[in-house]
Amino acid sequence: MTDDRGLSCAQLQEISAEIALGVLPADEQAAAMAHLERCPACGARVHELALTADALLELVPDSEPPTGFEGRVLERLGSTPARRATHRERWRRVALATAAAAAGLALGGGGWVLGSLSGRPVLAAPITSPAQPHVLTAQLTGGGHPMGQAFAYTGTSPWMYLSVDADGHSGTVQCRLQRADGSTVVLGAFTLDGDGYGHWGGPYPAGAAPVTGVRLLAANGSPLATATFVASQALPEHRQQPAVW
Amino acid sequence: MAGDPEIAAAFVRRFQSRVFGVAIGVVGDAQLAEDIAQQTFEQAYRHAQVYDPRRGSVRTWLSAIAHNQAIDALRAHKATPVAPADLEDMVETVTDTPERYALTAEAAVELRRAVAALPRDQARAVVMAGIYGMTAQQVADFEKVPLGTAKTRIRAATGKLRASLATRQVDHD
Repeated sequence: MTDDRGLSCAQLQEISAEIALGVLPADEQAAAMAHLERCPACGARVHELALTADALLELVPDSEPPTGFEGRVLERLGSTPARRATHRERWRRVALATAAAAAGLALGGGGWVLGSLSGRPVLAAPITSPAQPHVLTAQLTGGGHPMGQAFAYTGTSPWMYLSVDADGHSGTVQCRLQRADGSTVVLGAFTLDGDGYGHWGGPYPAGAAPVTGVRLLAANGSPLATATFVASQALPEHRQQPAVW
Repeated sequence: MAGDPEIAAAFVRRFQSRVFGVAIGVVGDAQLAEDIAQQTFEQAYRHAQVYDPRRGSVRTWLSAIAHNQAIDALRAHKATPVAPADLEDMVETVTDTPERYALTAEAAVELRRAVAALPRDQARAVVMAGIYGMTAQQVADFEKVPLGTAKTRIRAATGKLRASLATRQVDHD
């Protein structure tokens, strides 16, 4: 295919390695990204090459940092008890991501995402391999509007993770799990900030009936948002050991 | 889920050698590498929502952040991304015999062999681009070859490495 700016698949493939390695000159990036947004085939190829680039970094050996590094990092992040308390949710998220990695997650769906951690584009390509069967994903919706995303890991040591962006809502919300047999269980409560943003993650009790969805309730008990997982994906959880990093 | 101080400390302890390893591997200076490694954990902390399980493990994610930070530092601190001797050392490192890395994942061992099997100019090109973040033009200038030749080397090398991994699932930490 050829996009509006005339970049063909053949031309894109000429530079696909440079895209994947993150070294395509800035003045060439816009046309490349425009093509990739329209062309899943080229996107899949660049994604594969990006995984190769990631693997190449693995050949750079690990190296122990200087003595005291850990303490200096924690100090930089805010090591006083009062400040640490405010960071708990974010670290929960990181820890949960780690648990997800330990479980070998591969989430399906999604299109190209151009983020930036430190000035260079970070590409998140569509998945080309089958999604991990124990992972359920669903959009949280409330009042007909998208309000975030729910992820459930139903394999070893099941857990749920919610990322909420609910404009106009703030304060404490309750997360309630729903199962196919009609039963529900309260998983926990967390806080949405003034912008309606918040996230929560944690384990949930294994059960015989598959997880079908999750509901968010406002502090007064009124429904705020729901997410319904695809029924065909739902699987009963395994009762096994917790995942480790 | 454990409390915040324990999670933060355990997280840093778990991944610090990987993050510092990438940083010092790219910039070569211990003090600068430590600063990059600290920035990496700060970035991870601020941008945990950017973590994309589709792209690989947390280890891979942190490596990518450290790599980006290190490349930015190289561009800010050095006119030339890598000295010829350092490039040679890195090419030797990434093609070193697997026996030295007994605990390395099988996929990494396979990739190491694949890099070692590349023509030397292609191995150098993919290390320059993939590890030191050099553009094709910088590779061309460094190697004193036409831009098209540098692009071809990068493309050919990356394609061969991808093929070597195609039938293997990259190890997830």
